[in-house]
Amino acid sequence: MAGVSIVGSGNVGANTAFFIAETCTVDVTLVDASEGRSTGKALDMMEAAPLRKYGAQLKGADSIDAIEGSEVVVVAVGAVRKAGSDRASLFADNAQDVAQIARDVARLAPQSVVIVMTEPVDALTTLFVQESGFPRTRVLGLGAVLDSARLRQVVARELSLSSENVSAMVVGTHSEEMVALPTYSRISGIPLPQLMSAAEIDRLVDEVRSAGDEIVRLAGRTSSYYAPGAVAAELVNAIVNDLKRVMPVSLLLDGELGISGCALSLPAIVGRGGVAKVLEPKLDADQKQRLVASAEKVKATAQSGGKK
Amino acid sequence: MRKVSVIGAGNVGATAVYHIARLDLADVVMVDVVEGLPQAKALDFRHSAPLRGFGVEVIGTNDYADIKDSDVVVMTAGIARKPGMDRMDLLKTNVGIAKTAAQNIAKYAPDSVVIAVTNPLDVIAMALLRETKFPWERVVGMAGVLDSTRFRYFIAEALDVWPGDVEAMVLGGHGDSMVPLTSYASVGGIPLAELMDKETIDRLVARTRKGGGEIVNYLKSGSAYYAPGASAARMTQAVLRGESALIPASAHLTGQYGYEGIFLGVPLRLGAGGIEEIIEVELSPEEKAALDKSAEAVKGGVKTLESLQVGG
Repeated sequence: MAGVSIVGSGNVGANTAFFIAETCTVDVTLVDASEGRSTGKALDMMEAAPLRKYGAQLKGADSIDAIEGSEVVVVAVGAVRKAGSDRASLFADNAQDVAQIARDVARLAPQSVVIVMTEPVDALTTLFVQESGFPRTRVLGLGAVLDSARLRQVVARELSLSSENVSAMVVGTHSEEMVALPTYSRISGIPLPQLMSAAEIDRLVDEVRSAGDEIVRLAGRTSSYYAPGAVAAELVNAIVNDLKRVMPVSLLLDGELGISGCALSLPAIVGRGGVAKVLEPKLDADQKQRLVASAEKVKATAQSGGKK
Repeated sequence: MRKVSVIGAGNVGATAVYHIARLDLADVVMVDVVEGLPQAKALDFRHSAPLRGFGVEVIGTNDYADIKDSDVVVMTAGIARKPGMDRMDLLKTNVGIAKTAAQNIAKYAPDSVVIAVTNPLDVIAMALLRETKFPWERVVGMAGVLDSTRFRYFIAEALDVWPGDVEAMVLGGHGDSMVPLTSYASVGGIPLAELMDKETIDRLVARTRKGGGEIVNYLKSGSAYYAPGASAARMTQAVLRGESALIPASAHLTGQYGYEGIFLGVPLRLGAGGIEEIIEVELSPEEKAALDKSAEAVKGGVKTLESLQVGG
């Protein structure tokens, strides 16, 4: 199997391609139904290759057929949020497209690992598994792994550290209801609560909770795409190089924490073939209850159906 | 362009030079008493520049004057213990080398941050501090980063996960008495105890303590230099980039953790001016007892140093 395909060459898809080119040596095909758009962006990136020393080829294609045989397919299509709207409301806009892509991926790249970036990510990851018939371990949603990257960054900023030695764990749904786990967040191994008061941690978690909204509000016409693209590239790298990274990704739960039938983020080991193992963190009663409540909402959204 | 000098062109020094040059942050000077050796290795490095893409200068020299105005000096010079040689002879020889280096560092690079790598680490660091008469913040020992990276690697290997997602702290002296803190070991933030049984953890701790010895046993003659060189470069990077990196390293303690007047591995922040802060983390009674024992072992070395009249 060869290469990574990215379906959708808007800001999220294109930046994912760009970060993959910067950090991995795997060929990337950008697919976009809008004629010429992905080819133009891929060409622009390849023209930077002599300066940036890319070890891979990027190309564009207008037809979904170009994903044939891909090792990884990244789903980055769809409408993004506008200021004031929540992620769940995008389900109606994006569900039909994602369902169609799921059927196309099942047909054209039946052995691939899929990374879903389209919002609302947990509901669409759930839908993708249903429509593709893929095992749940091969459909990963870019959920809390993004919130966790953001939490690492704000913790590092607050402690005046580089984020390299900061790990931060966020689980649950990729929404306002995300659940941050401070005792699973560490700096060079030292638990965060030893270095910061509970009130400070709460303030940083709240900042992360609304980080996506903040970017939508500030940018006006777009949602975030640098951090999502960087995180997606990390997942791609973990899969194609079989790195066995420990990251909280959204996947269809099957009894973990007593939840089944919808996708939520939990820490997992990610390598070739997708999720090798789900790691269940120890949650207190309140955290558990919040996850169960989130699961119900994701299920309701996933069953709400898209626009015809 | 900033400047890093590496004293000692042996395997550890040369590997450190390789990693530091790759950072592209500073010119690198490699100093050794053996004529031709640092020059040869530096030239060999420069030949790889077109392929490896570093643009900084790497030069080799036998003259300490060439370390002039270095921002960082990495001290790796010293002899390795040979069969039949007792530790006391090794200590005398390496303390002598460190004294000469320290006098030259104080003379030519009076504002530098000194990273001690030569063994016995905690004693050599003390000799460098005393002879340079530098403030304590600017002499730091490379022990904890190396011992921790070994512990992290062993954990990653046992769990079959990416080593970069594993964090762990090893404190104390750089020797068999080192203290791997199992409660601070984590994988993607998940505490090690949730991923591994105690027996396995104990086995990895024991292997970490003997990590250097395991490699010496394989090599027969010689000791580890890939991980030590990478560890020295990691610390150099923290200084050059002004990272305030939170890492375990050997520092001169003045009461922290209840110890005074010795170098001991503790969590600290390393940045542009050297050590910025020593972090006191919570230790279990067992961990504190192990650290006490480690501190005692280092104190013995310091007494020996005093008998050699360093900095006196």
